[in-house]
Amino acid sequence: MWRTAWAQALANRRSFVAQMAVMVVNDLVWIFFWQVFFRRVGSVRGWTVDDMMVLYAVLALAVGLVLGALANLRFLGPLVADGELDGALALPMDPLGFLALRQVSPVSVGDIAFGIGLFAVVGHPTPARTALFVAVTVAATAVLAGFLVVLGSLAFVSGTGGAGDLGLSAIIVFSSYPINIYGGALRLALFGLIPAAFVGSLPAQLVQHPSPGRALLLAGGVAAFGGAGWLSFRLGLRRYTSGATWTGV
Amino acid sequence: MTASPSASSPVQRAPGPAPAANAVIAVDDMRRTFTTGRRRRRRTIEAVRGITFTVARGERLAFIGPNGAGKSTSIKMLTGLLRPSAGSVRVLGLEPWSQRRALSRRIGTLFGQRSLLWPELPARTSLATLGAIHGLDRPGLGRRITELGELLEATELLDRPVRTLSLGQRMRCELAAALLHRPDLLFLDEPTIGLDLLAKQRFREVLVRLNTEHSTTVFLTSHDVADIEHVAERAVIVNHGTVIHDSPVASLRRTLLTTKRIEVGLARAQTVADVRAALGPDIGPVMALGDRPADDGMPVDGIAIGVDTRRQAIGAVLDRVLRHLAVADVSVADPPLEAVIGEIYTRPAATAPAVVQSLRDGPS
Repeated sequence: MWRTAWAQALANRRSFVAQMAVMVVNDLVWIFFWQVFFRRVGSVRGWTVDDMMVLYAVLALAVGLVLGALANLRFLGPLVADGELDGALALPMDPLGFLALRQVSPVSVGDIAFGIGLFAVVGHPTPARTALFVAVTVAATAVLAGFLVVLGSLAFVSGTGGAGDLGLSAIIVFSSYPINIYGGALRLALFGLIPAAFVGSLPAQLVQHPSPGRALLLAGGVAAFGGAGWLSFRLGLRRYTSGATWTGV
Repeated sequence: MTASPSASSPVQRAPGPAPAANAVIAVDDMRRTFTTGRRRRRRTIEAVRGITFTVARGERLAFIGPNGAGKSTSIKMLTGLLRPSAGSVRVLGLEPWSQRRALSRRIGTLFGQRSLLWPELPARTSLATLGAIHGLDRPGLGRRITELGELLEATELLDRPVRTLSLGQRMRCELAAALLHRPDLLFLDEPTIGLDLLAKQRFREVLVRLNTEHSTTVFLTSHDVADIEHVAERAVIVNHGTVIHDSPVASLRRTLLTTKRIEVGLARAQTVADVRAALGPDIGPVMALGDRPADDGMPVDGIAIGVDTRRQAIGAVLDRVLRHLAVADVSVADPPLEAVIGEIYTRPAATAPAVVQSLRDGPS
């Protein structure tokens, strides 16, 4: 099915390439900014420009995979609220899987290309580092996907699907900066409430400075947010009202 | 009531409620409530309040009702999309919401304007993907798509991107998607909405062919009376969340509407007032045929008389017409089905159980 979704995205190749290119240029502007910034300040609370580049590579790839290759996860809330799960529920497959794989967004595919390219160019890719990069990116992708599913599943209860976009903006903003710049309760919130730390800083630190503690923490994040996403969708499905504006009993 | 029809020959059957043992759908006291608002403003809405009916294998059933009657909620509970608040529902022997995946391998669904096809790709690609989801092997799937293309007269449409198809053409491709896995039972929720006259006609013919040639049970909701007349053998009418009528479509008019219309072609033109005077004061409403105003004082060559059969025997009125008017032509017509259904819809909720009971006792 994924192949079909890709074929759909590629149906208009010019548009696909143009949208991808725009996203790559957008990402390059950020990289240019960080390069200039770190050249002036050297490091920020132990984070160097190399660390930032790896953070950006992981983040771009994870965001690209979730918003590009699993594009519908971003719109799960509106899909639930508008009753668009009906078609998925009429098929003999997991409805969340069907929705997630059904659509590819060309804009975010640019992030995938950018993330891979950035790591290849400035990530000092050795076989070991590349394997680690792939592993932490998969973990970051799982956390981000789980988080979006939790937010989207709120629509089963609230009947409206606006939480996904708010949460997505928040997690991308917070995960774009080193975790060390946040302190106290906010840092805790970035591991628990909005899991930005699992999508940006922690995976990057694991590639740059591998440690069992960090690996365990990341695995815990995957289990917690992946599990929360799975569970919230399953529980929410029981309350699905197929587009009715009321909440189910 | 209904024997399982053979796959090869057209099916002859008398529609009506099926015994539970022979039923592909058995619904008993199905209910669904919704709540709206929060805290003090919380309100409970009973969308479906105790629906009971059965459908036999091979039937073509129309499940109809006005907006908000509970028909869409019901069809969603039957297909496993919604969980009933109470009651028992079995579809092909399965409990729809808890055995949704198993059920989806045996039923086909077509929900109005909701599409399962990828708009930028040829319908054939979408069908191949959906077939793979249903677990069909590749050679078998190719044959099935060809077969459906022929059945739905859509062979040339399958290779065009879905977004370039007209609504009618797209609906045929959507129907092909619903039929890929050879379902025993087909649920259609407002399938002809938005289609033009020809597309509707074609769609209805396909549904009847599917039923007669392949024994597919058809469960249809529609607001279009022609869908009911041309596709369904049996109509279950719901309103206010309950079944208020359940009978063969053919007997709908006979059973429920107590008015007839006598159309008379006059051998000698007369005014409507003269006709009324000739037929007597107790005659029903008399109007000129065609586009003429009700009574403009000009002679007309055709009239229509409304007869309330509870008050007057149709034969007695005909006898009076033949005796007092110079008749060139006469015909007795049932009112349009639309009027019959409209009449049922306007009945208050409290009369519903009585209507159902009277129908179970047989036509009066």
